[in-house]
Amino acid sequence: MELIEILQSTWAIRALIASSMVGIMCGVLGAFIVLRNMSLIGDALSHAILPGVVFGFMIAGYSVLGFFIGSVIAGLLAAVFITWIQQNVKTKNDAAIGIVFTAMFSIGVMAISHLSRTEGVHLDLKDFLFGNVLGVSNEDLYLTGFIGIYVLISIVVFYRYLFATTFQPVIAETMGISVKTVHYFLMLLLSFVVVASLRTVGVILVVAMLITPAATALLLTNRLQKVLVLAGLIGFASAVSGLILAIIWDTTPGPAMTVVATVIYGLAVLFSPEKGLVFKYIRNRQLNEKILAEDILKQALRLSEKGTVTVEKLSDKLGFSTAAVRGKLPSLKKKGLFSISNSKIELTQEGRTQATRLVRAHRLWETYLVEKMGLTVEQIHEDAEKYEHILTDEIMDEMEERLGYPVLDPHGSPIPKREKLPTLSLSSLAQNQHAIIEKNQTNEYIITKLWELGLMPGSDVSIKRSAAQFIEIEVNEKLVKVPKELSDKISIELK
Amino acid sequence: MISIKGLSVSYDRKMVLSNIYSEIEEGSLCGILGPNGAGKSTLFKAILGLIPINSGNILIDGKPITKQRKRVVYVPQKGDIDWQFPATVFDIVLMGRYPHLRLFQRFSTHDKDLALDALRQMGIENLKNRQIGELSGGQQQRVFLARAICQEAEIFLLDEPFVGVDITTEEKIVDILKQLAEAGKTLLVVHHDLSKVEDYFDHVILLNQRIIASGETFSTFTDDNINKTYGGQLTILHKTFEV
Repeated sequence: MELIEILQSTWAIRALIASSMVGIMCGVLGAFIVLRNMSLIGDALSHAILPGVVFGFMIAGYSVLGFFIGSVIAGLLAAVFITWIQQNVKTKNDAAIGIVFTAMFSIGVMAISHLSRTEGVHLDLKDFLFGNVLGVSNEDLYLTGFIGIYVLISIVVFYRYLFATTFQPVIAETMGISVKTVHYFLMLLLSFVVVASLRTVGVILVVAMLITPAATALLLTNRLQKVLVLAGLIGFASAVSGLILAIIWDTTPGPAMTVVATVIYGLAVLFSPEKGLVFKYIRNRQLNEKILAEDILKQALRLSEKGTVTVEKLSDKLGFSTAAVRGKLPSLKKKGLFSISNSKIELTQEGRTQATRLVRAHRLWETYLVEKMGLTVEQIHEDAEKYEHILTDEIMDEMEERLGYPVLDPHGSPIPKREKLPTLSLSSLAQNQHAIIEKNQTNEYIITKLWELGLMPGSDVSIKRSAAQFIEIEVNEKLVKVPKELSDKISIELK
Repeated sequence: MISIKGLSVSYDRKMVLSNIYSEIEEGSLCGILGPNGAGKSTLFKAILGLIPINSGNILIDGKPITKQRKRVVYVPQKGDIDWQFPATVFDIVLMGRYPHLRLFQRFSTHDKDLALDALRQMGIENLKNRQIGELSGGQQQRVFLARAICQEAEIFLLDEPFVGVDITTEEKIVDILKQLAEAGKTLLVVHHDLSKVEDYFDHVILLNQRIIASGETFSTFTDDNINKTYGGQLTILHKTFEV
C-alpha cells in the first residue's frame, strides 16, 4: 500500500516516465552500438560530455538547455577527436578512445572542483556519475521526451542506412550511402541519448543501458527489426523495475536498473531457446538419448533378421545392462517403433523404416570415407557408428549422388535406398504426361539440384524419354536429363 | 562500357597499380587474373571510387562512378562478413533496391517482387527467412548474387565469387554469369583458378601492377603472357605440383 502511495507522488511519476523513456531509447540505439562493436565508444562519449555540462553551466547557469547544448557539443567533439586519431595517427583504435575520453573527463572534473572552490558553486559530481532520477524536473522531462521521440523517429526513418552501413559498410558505400555521415549521425544520436540518460542512470552506467538490453535481444532473435523492438522493451522493463526496486529497498535507482538489466541478460544466456546454455544442455542430453534409442533400433533390426528379439539378446549385442535396455523400451513403444507382447519384441513398420535409415547412413558414410577420403576398410566402422546418428536425409542424398549411387558398401553389404520418397515423383510419370514441379520438396538438397538442372519449382514438365540411367524431360522447350535416382526424389503435382 | 585511362594507385607510397589503360566492352564476361598482390582488388576499389587514385580517370558509359551508382554492383569476397549479424536472406537481397530509392522512400511491391524473382532465379526462395549464417557456403554466395541481380545493374564486379562454393554450384553460377553477359551486362570477375579460364571468360585482363596483356581469351591467355604475369611465382607452383 505504501509503495502505491509513493508511486502516485509527482516526483515518482516523473521518475517513472523519465526512466521508461531512457530505457527504451538506450535499448533501441544500443542495438546498433553493439552490432558496430562500438560499446567502448558509448562508454567514452558518456564520460566525455562532462566538460560540456560544466561549460554549459558557466555560460547559461543552471539551465537544462545549457547542459544539453554543452553536452552534445562535447560528445561530438569527442567523436571527431577519436575518429581523427584513429585515421591519422598510428595509435590503436581502442587506445585512441581511451586517451580522448579520459582527457575530456579529467578536464570536466578539474573545472567542477575549481568552480566549487573559487565561486562556491555546487555542481554535484556524484549526480553526474550515478544519476539522480528522483530529482527529475519538468524541464528534464520535456528534454528527455523530445530526445526520445527524435531518436526513435530517426532510427525508423534512416533504418535502411543504419542497417546497410552496419552490416556491410563497403557495400553501403558502393550504393552511394556515405558511411562517414551515418557514423557521425549515429554519434549525434548517441550524444543525445547519453545526455537524456544523465539524470536517470548517470555516466558510469549509461553504457550498461546501451549494451546490456541490446546484447540480450541479440541472444533472443535473428531479425534486426525484432532485435530493436526487443531491446527497447528490455530496456524499458529494466529501467522501470529497477526504479521500483530502488524505491522499495531505498537504494540508488541507476545501479538498480543496471542490475535488473544484467539479471535479464543472465536469464537469456541460460534460457534463450536457440543460444541458451540450458537448452544446449537439454539438446545434448536428448542427443545422447536418441543415440541410445537408435542403437537399440538398429540391433533389433539385425536380430530380427535371424530370429526373435529379446531384451537379453539386445543387451548382449549392445553391451548395456538389461535394465538399461528395458528402461528404454517403453519410450520406443510409445513412439510406435516397437510392439511388445509377452517378452517378444517386434519392430513395427515405422520402426523398420527408421532402422533401415540408420543402416543407410552408416553404409553411405563408410563408402564416402573409403571412396572420397581414401581411408581403408579397417578404419571406417567406428566413425560411421557416430555419424549414422547425425547425418540428415539431405546430406545422405548429396553423398549418394557424389558417390554415383553406390549399391554396395566397402564391406560388400547392400546400401538401402532412401525410405521416404514422395508419393508422386517425377519418375512415376508416363511418357508425354505433363506435371508441375512442386514448390515444397523433401529437402533442401533436392531444391539445389533442381536449380542446378534449371528446373524451377512451379514449372511445367513432360517426360520425353526413359533410359536406364536417366529420364529426359522437356521444360520450357528445353530437354533436360535427370538421373533416375534423383527423379525418384523429386515431388510433382499432376495438372 | 568501362574505360580506364592512365590509372595509378598507391598505398603508403608503394605503387599498387601503375598506368592502367583498359576498355571493357558491354556484354563481355571478363576475368581479371594475376598473382597475390597484383592489385586486382585495388582495381575494383578504384573503379568503385572507394579509394583515392593518384592519377588517371575511370568512366562508366562516359560518366564518373559517382553518377552511376545504380548501374554498378559489387560482390565482394566472402571473407569479411559478420555471419552472426541478425539479417535474413530476404533483408539482404532487398538491399539491392537501396540505390533506387530516394531518401524517405519505402520499398514498393515492385521492389519486393524483384527481390523474390532474384531469389527464385538463384534457387533459394525457400531460404528467404533464414539468417545468413545458417546457410552453406554455396547458398551464401547465391544470396549475394541474388542481391546483385535485384539491383538491376549493368556492370557487375565480382571478387573471387567461387571461393568456398562447391563445383556444381560454381558451374551453375558461371551459366548465370554467361546469361547476364548475353543480355548485354558487363561482368568483371577476379579469379585465381587458371585451369577454368578458357571455359569461363570471353575476355581476360592479366594484371601485375600494370596490365601485362588484355583482350579476347583465346588470343590473350597464352603461356607466354601467363608466365610474364606470374613471373617466378608460377614456376614455383609448377614445381610444387611436380614434387
